[in-house]
Amino acid sequence: MVQPLPTREERAVPGLHPRRFWSLRPRSDRQSGDAIVSNFLLHWFPAKTYKPSMDWSYSFWLGTVSAALFLLLVLSGGPLLFLYVPSVERAYGSVKDIEFAVTFGSWIRSVHRVAAHLMVVAVFLHLVRVFLTGAYKNGVGQGQRRVWNWTIGVAMLLVTLLLSFTGYLLPWDQLAYWAVTVGTNIASSIPFVGPTVRELLIGGRTIDQPTLIRFYVLHVLLLPGALGALFVYHMWRVRKDGGLARADSVAIVSERLRTVPVRSKTYTLLGVARGTAPTVRTATLEAPDLTVNSVPDLTRRISIVALGTVAIISLAAVYVRSPLEEAANALVTPNPAKAPWYFLWLQEIVTDTTVHLGSFTINGAFLGGVLLPGLLVGLLTAWPWLDRSPMTAAGTWLPRSRRAQNAVFLAIAALVILLTLLGTFCRGPYWHFYWPWQPWPEIPTRL
Amino acid sequence: MAGNPHQVVTMEQRMNSPYPKRDRPVLAVIGIVLVAGAVLFTVNDREHEWRYYQYTFKRVVAERLGGDKARTVPTGLQQIWVPALGRADRCISCHQAVTWTGFETADEPFRTHQSEPLRNHPIEKFGCTSCHGGQGWAVDAEPAHGPVEHWEEPLLGRELGTAYSLVDNKAALMQMNCNVCHRYDRETQGADMINLAKRLVHEKGCRACHVINSRGGTIGPDLTYVGDKAPEQYEYGRLSGQKTAFAWHVAHLKDPRALVTDTVMPNFHLTTKEAQSLALLVLSWRKAPVPAAMVAGTPHTDPQTAEERLAEEAMKTGPGAWFVRTGCFVCHSIAVLGVKSPAQIGPDLSSAVEDVQSRFGRTIDDFLAAPTGTMAVVLSRQIVLTPAEKAVAVEKLREAFAEYQKQRAAGTIAGAGNH
Repeated sequence: MVQPLPTREERAVPGLHPRRFWSLRPRSDRQSGDAIVSNFLLHWFPAKTYKPSMDWSYSFWLGTVSAALFLLLVLSGGPLLFLYVPSVERAYGSVKDIEFAVTFGSWIRSVHRVAAHLMVVAVFLHLVRVFLTGAYKNGVGQGQRRVWNWTIGVAMLLVTLLLSFTGYLLPWDQLAYWAVTVGTNIASSIPFVGPTVRELLIGGRTIDQPTLIRFYVLHVLLLPGALGALFVYHMWRVRKDGGLARADSVAIVSERLRTVPVRSKTYTLLGVARGTAPTVRTATLEAPDLTVNSVPDLTRRISIVALGTVAIISLAAVYVRSPLEEAANALVTPNPAKAPWYFLWLQEIVTDTTVHLGSFTINGAFLGGVLLPGLLVGLLTAWPWLDRSPMTAAGTWLPRSRRAQNAVFLAIAALVILLTLLGTFCRGPYWHFYWPWQPWPEIPTRL
Repeated sequence: MAGNPHQVVTMEQRMNSPYPKRDRPVLAVIGIVLVAGAVLFTVNDREHEWRYYQYTFKRVVAERLGGDKARTVPTGLQQIWVPALGRADRCISCHQAVTWTGFETADEPFRTHQSEPLRNHPIEKFGCTSCHGGQGWAVDAEPAHGPVEHWEEPLLGRELGTAYSLVDNKAALMQMNCNVCHRYDRETQGADMINLAKRLVHEKGCRACHVINSRGGTIGPDLTYVGDKAPEQYEYGRLSGQKTAFAWHVAHLKDPRALVTDTVMPNFHLTTKEAQSLALLVLSWRKAPVPAAMVAGTPHTDPQTAEERLAEEAMKTGPGAWFVRTGCFVCHSIAVLGVKSPAQIGPDLSSAVEDVQSRFGRTIDDFLAAPTGTMAVVLSRQIVLTPAEKAVAVEKLREAFAEYQKQRAAGTIAGAGNH
């Protein structure tokens, strides 16, 4: 076979495909191989994906949704970086300008806000899914460290919450100011070091310019950087661990089925297609009727999820306007002053565990704001080591062998959700109980 | 794919993928939703009332004043940026006729602003919202005019005044903002209700119990910045109707005990108009973020003490008055005549007659007629004296010297006045 000389364009950069926006029309085996080696997606995703891993109803693609939301947040945060001024005097005004005067400003801000809230939800649900399917358990693969990836995941949830919380302060309105006041006051209830921790967090004793610049730098630089790094590692580990836990469970099942071994491995990339190279016969990991090519079947589905997420946020941001309350005022506390919604279950616990005995008050901030969430996060991180269920329990929804621990987990999750809903929708002035349809007492205005 | 027909293709076949058939339509639908979403948010972002008003105003100008004039009407979002007040007022995006003449009787938003208030309050220096209230950032009618949630500075116009049933002048709420700068004035032109309220403060003796502008009694609360008190901090339990700080003040002024049962504030039996005027006044007492130079009636000098003022007066009218008038005293004291120089650069002139003789070897007459050195410069440029005036100067200096000799003889001066 006479091969045409490669053009200059094709010789350009070794390891990088000469045409960045290529569609594959290889003229030789060498070119076909290069196309695969230089394909970024194929380094992220395996060449072949188990069909059961592709199911909508197994993973609900919540990790992909979270990643898409993170990407969207970075993209929508970009223009906001150019418009927002992190100064006590001008922050509020610059957000007003984004709302009213900047082209697409109001929409971009809403995209950022809606995506941020949904990301907290998506990451939480992703964690719930992984727990309920026991997906942190190692399967049959060599060198699997799923437990470690679970720990990374818990850390990513915490970073997501911190990202959301630091972003909360930036508009410098009453909502921001008092949510951060409530949040950081909880930190000061840690015995002995509490006040110091709070001082470190907000850069002083009152929430002011030092707090704003701290939260700003955390929000736009350190935390997104940390989350990006953790995300990359998280994805790489998923690949090293052999994909979703479900792949392992399928492999175990298919081994029992004694599938006929097929040729699936080769020492030259496309040699197997030509039948010119020795092949390895394997019955397990790449069984043809159980797998599909990742490109395009997996990548198409990822596109559906990512673009679908973008589409939904884009539409939602047109209708869900982002609130901007009065400019921050240290002298006027809104009633009720609520923490961001994802911390309201904690605020609810803090309020419920604050006991008044005559003129004495035992503050529940330490129990509800530090001890309990600390305990939960610790338990969450350590759980894979406590989990003694068999390997077959991994990768299936609510298996019999994990019934008890799933029940405990669901009970705790349900309680957290219930308290969050209670704090969000049923708490009015003075933290009194109101049904969502009950009107609150009229809030007086100046004029 | 397989180039050689003799070889059996042994590569596993993956034609069984069920996904393309299912997923491609889904992806297509998402693509359509994305495009639709982009159209939707673009249209949504472009849609503003000011576009319609600018188009209409241009047409109105073209009809009335011709196409050339219409072409000078600015298009796009307009704003007045007043850095000193931190205000960006975008009102003029719709209210384009504000500084035009010929639209005095037109309907809003195309009416010319009254010329009288603008004469002393140029729009570039004051913006719109510093007087009128409203949300200058906003570019749509509702958020700009209010009342809207989370914006507590609604437009102080006729509509809101009517809602409060203001007596006589429904547009009087705006006077609150007049008084932000004019709070130290006794009378402010055009602010009739504020003026009435200020008279009442004097007549009724509010300062007997309340501190107002750091003066007054301490039986009642300090009212100097009571306008800053948050609306949530009033007790509305006994107030019927609107729960606002303004309504509270009106009701409280009319009958204090009806709102606060244990108050010691007497009922002054104020009329509704008086109560409303006073409510406007007290709500205007705020720590306003306006530059000091804009606040009327505040001294822009560093005040003198009473002694300093007396000494200055004595200098101007005493025996050394002539030296003060001509400006000699800027550099020279004449201690024996009670003139003290603020700069004291030159020697004391009390003993000039003797001093000039000893320094220059010339008489004082001679020296003044043809001065040398610094005095040559001063007397030719800064203090130009006619020969007649120079004669007066010599005469005054001789008088001073006579006084000097007298005091030296009496022993009230230690040495020569040269320092």
